[in-house]
Amino acid sequence: MDSHAVGHVGSGIQDTPRGVVRDLLERHDRTTGLYWRAVAAFGLLTVLGIVGFVMRVLDGVDDRSLWGYYAATFAFILTTAQAAPMVAIAPRLAKAHWRRPISRAAEMWSITGIVGLLIFIPMLWILPSLEDGRRTLWFFDPTDPDFAGVPVSSPHLWATAAILGLVALGIALLWVSSLPDFAAMRDNLTGWRQRWASRLALGWRGTSGQWNMLYHRLGILGALYFMMLVFVHFLISVDFLMALVPGWIDALYPATHAANALQAAAATMLLTMFFLRQFGGYKDYIGLDQFWGLGKLMFALSLLWFWFWFSSFIVLWYGKRPNEQAALELLMVGPYLPIFFVTFITVFVVPLFTMIWNPLRKSIWGPTIIAASVLIGTFFDRIRLYVAAYSVPGIGEPLIDKHELELEAVEKMNAVLPGLPDVFIIVGGISAVILAYLIASRIIPLVNIWEQRELLLYKVHKPFHKTEVLVLGKKD
Amino acid sequence: MGEKSWGMVIDVDKCTGCQACVVACQSENNIPINEEEHFNQRRAIEWIRVERYWEGEFPDVKARFIPILCQHCGEAPCEPVCPVFATYHNDQGLNVQVYNRCVGTRFCANNCPYHVRFFNFWEPEWPETLTNQLNPDVTVRSRGIMEKCTFCVQRIRRTERESERDGVDLDDGDRALSPACVNACPTSALVFGDFADPESKVSRLKEQEEKEDGRAYRLLENYGTEPSVVYLKKVEEGAKSASHG
Amino acid sequence: MQEHVQFTQKEVNRDLLYGVTNTIRWWPGLTIFLLVVFLAGAGAFGYMLNKGVGVTGLNRPVMWGFFMTNFVFWIGISHAGIMISAILRLTQAEWRRPITRAAEVLTVFSLTAALMAAPLVHVGRPWRAALWVFPYDFARGVWPNIRSPFIWDPSAVMTYLTASSLFVFVALLPDLAVIRDRSTGIAQKVYGLLCLGWRGTPRQWKLQAIAGILLSALVLPVFVSVHSIVSWDFAVNIGVEGWHSTIFAPYFIIGAIHSGVSAVAMIMALMVWLWKLDKYIRPDHFDAIGRLLIIVATTWFFFFFLEWVFALYTLEAPEIALRELQVFQHPYVWLFLIFLLTAYFIPVPVWLFKNARRKVWVMFWTTVLVNVGMWLERFLIIIPGLARKTPFTFDWGTYHPSLIEILMVAGTFAWVALGMLLFSRVFPLVPLFDIKEGMVVRDEVKIGRATVPATVRE
Repeated sequence: MDSHAVGHVGSGIQDTPRGVVRDLLERHDRTTGLYWRAVAAFGLLTVLGIVGFVMRVLDGVDDRSLWGYYAATFAFILTTAQAAPMVAIAPRLAKAHWRRPISRAAEMWSITGIVGLLIFIPMLWILPSLEDGRRTLWFFDPTDPDFAGVPVSSPHLWATAAILGLVALGIALLWVSSLPDFAAMRDNLTGWRQRWASRLALGWRGTSGQWNMLYHRLGILGALYFMMLVFVHFLISVDFLMALVPGWIDALYPATHAANALQAAAATMLLTMFFLRQFGGYKDYIGLDQFWGLGKLMFALSLLWFWFWFSSFIVLWYGKRPNEQAALELLMVGPYLPIFFVTFITVFVVPLFTMIWNPLRKSIWGPTIIAASVLIGTFFDRIRLYVAAYSVPGIGEPLIDKHELELEAVEKMNAVLPGLPDVFIIVGGISAVILAYLIASRIIPLVNIWEQRELLLYKVHKPFHKTEVLVLGKKD
Repeated sequence: MGEKSWGMVIDVDKCTGCQACVVACQSENNIPINEEEHFNQRRAIEWIRVERYWEGEFPDVKARFIPILCQHCGEAPCEPVCPVFATYHNDQGLNVQVYNRCVGTRFCANNCPYHVRFFNFWEPEWPETLTNQLNPDVTVRSRGIMEKCTFCVQRIRRTERESERDGVDLDDGDRALSPACVNACPTSALVFGDFADPESKVSRLKEQEEKEDGRAYRLLENYGTEPSVVYLKKVEEGAKSASHG
Repeated sequence: MQEHVQFTQKEVNRDLLYGVTNTIRWWPGLTIFLLVVFLAGAGAFGYMLNKGVGVTGLNRPVMWGFFMTNFVFWIGISHAGIMISAILRLTQAEWRRPITRAAEVLTVFSLTAALMAAPLVHVGRPWRAALWVFPYDFARGVWPNIRSPFIWDPSAVMTYLTASSLFVFVALLPDLAVIRDRSTGIAQKVYGLLCLGWRGTPRQWKLQAIAGILLSALVLPVFVSVHSIVSWDFAVNIGVEGWHSTIFAPYFIIGAIHSGVSAVAMIMALMVWLWKLDKYIRPDHFDAIGRLLIIVATTWFFFFFLEWVFALYTLEAPEIALRELQVFQHPYVWLFLIFLLTAYFIPVPVWLFKNARRKVWVMFWTTVLVNVGMWLERFLIIIPGLARKTPFTFDWGTYHPSLIEILMVAGTFAWVALGMLLFSRVFPLVPLFDIKEGMVVRDEVKIGRATVPATVRE
């Protein structure tokens, strides 16, 4: 795949380091009318989301089932936007060259973590405290007098700290990776961009010491971001989801939640790439190689989705234990069966039967459409799990002795349908994320200039027998 | 023959832990003699066993007994895991073991939460003098296969045959029908019968005890195995006086 | 990363075929020793056949013991070959080239060892084991029970064995032709037959490459299914509280990759020491496999952590009792400590140092430790799980392996080593064609004063 990764670039200007810098800065400096229209539209929708949120708040936080869609929105943002930087981090650690034109676009999503964090804060009030007797990661029975001194809000505390850490790490990663580009803006542009960039460049002069430090920090921050992402998914999926369903004990689920996020990250980036290509004016940089590389990754992660789902399913289903049957009934085959079907088809079946087809995989529109399908599926998946979990009644009563969800009770349950505020919240939440991304894209170049420049050093055309081949360097 | 669903009701309150059921089962079903070394190796075969638990500290110590045998589960975990169908559910609610098919993977033993499946680690042997007391109606199992309580299926079958021949209905209280352990129990703690027949002794006992304040429970109900053996709780001595003291 | 060393084709042929054309000094002695150990294991099996499973330490409730542990261990090791070959081939990692063959052969022999360990010596009536693995009794309408994981298991393992044998064979074709051209008489005829008329035409090369890539891609799902299914032998049990965990399939897979890739690093060290292949297996290769191992080991540790978290999260008595047995009670506490130290806490910090990763002896001994740890890991899942099956304390048990079991386990180790040795006497352990291909596609790019290794792309 690397063979194409470096390949074609439109005009000749991108073939010299100076040309690349000039070209990319020019593209960054240009703001189109379409951009302002998009900002206006998403801004309006964001306001709508705030209206929806206010409507929900007026209903109070006592009835948790009203907040299922809110939680699903948060989870969807965590799963997509906040995971998207992994598309930059993982190939960078593996030194894959195809990442270069899209790594910045991926890292830029980390800025939207702020929106995720804001949406998360009200959830702290929605969740029952441990005194209500739900299961928790903190392995103790709060009704036991021995544990009287333990802070019962610890899941709330930990999850908040972890999400804050994730957002901070993401922004740090974005900043560090942008330093050379800020320096380039400082040196080549004029006006407010230049003033801002010179402040943000933190005195970057491109000494070899600074470069070594940059590579080092990118590696460390990337690895930390990944670990923090997994940790956040672990905390959220257990204490904010699984713990609400008494009989649901699925050791794999935190890993599944994180793996789903990686798949959704690939899908998010495929769509981002498509929009950057079609409307952002980066057609010369983002090409088939990026779609191909990322498409294959998404395909592999779709298979992983099935494997993780099946690993959980067979163990819960085979044993016929009442508590596990009840959990399956609630989450999969009961009231939310149609949503599960939609998820299963869009997240697994569609990618499986389309991405094995070469002409489709090696195209721009193919992976894009499938990415859209995966994102829709991920969205429904989050709705299915969070809405179902938040609608379990009677969680306020002590369950520590029972840990049981009655199968018959679940069979009588109906799916919770979204109300008007829910629709507003979903649309507004997603719009707020996109708005944040759009705003950030005016401050930081959308294509990584220094990585693109660096690529030119690594590729050499050499004669080979009777023909000429591309020789591609890969640093240790 | 109509629908049958053989089962048992065990009144733990009546159990004295005398082990008569164990001995009766041993001789009825050609179970090899468990010597000391078998117990030390933890390989003794007892299709029914009386588990003994101690409660409290000396001198306020109580011995608790509970007879445990194959629960003939409705959703038997041992059945799906056998690769060769050596164990399956028959239409009379019995969980049966086909010795000839068994290859001895011991998967079923692992998946049985009640520990009532036994593996023949050794070739079974009887002293010369006892070979004539073997029950001709019961297969002598060879080494390398699993075995377990059958609810004395040979007795059920024989009684069925005979009642069919004589044209009489199966009698619930017929001692020839009941498993050996039930017949041997001096306190009648074990009752055997057909749960499909609402008039049978076991059905009536179950119905009576499943009401409020009843004593009926099943072992490890949270596993969802739907056992055919119903246990009746021990009546606590001084339970009434405990409420105000 | 790769040093830029070029050899002539002649040199490659001479070096890599040395073990095939000559009997190396230590070869007969080592082979005979391994044969003796294997025969001792076979003898122990014969004794068990004669006396019954009673000669093992198994009991009620610990019905599965050393054999099952060993089965899972060998299935785990077998994941090395495909991991190295298929995944690294699909991701075009250059450093795979000298070690693919040894890894694939290890897969084949460890799978046969696994088949010996579980269906054969494990069951009560081994003479009927074949009848279970291969469906029987059609005439009486008795079919295998496809609901049983023990039917999925042999199906997956057999598929995997077939696929990996094919994998080895396809990669062997060009090398067989090289040997054919250098041998005479009967040997030439046999190699000639085996290499299926390989003449090295462009079409044959193309077909061989396509077959390799296709097999790589198709074998991956099999690779994942095998150990998942092995894990379901345990996880679908509801009777054993400690096994009933949804995480088992990925946890087993990543554990298998951990032990398997470690085993490959071990074999690389042995190839350097015994076959003197240090010209082809360079410190760079150890470096690369060491870095891969850090990632694999850490992922494995994450799943290990999840498994523990959810064992405690259930708050169920048998689970808690099982963990107490594993961590606090003699002798499991010692095994558990050894397991933690050897499987993660000693090797991974060592691998973090580049200097350590580039030393053959460091990589050898750390990976030996990993495999000791991973064997114990399986032991600690299976035995304490069974010993503390359910809440009935009356039936809690314990387990001590007998000499017979230890001999049979040792026999499987000898069998795998023996297989590798015999293979190396007839076929080259390092793929000649892969090395030569690597020479062609390898290049360098100069960036300022630095030289960066590079590869030629079409």
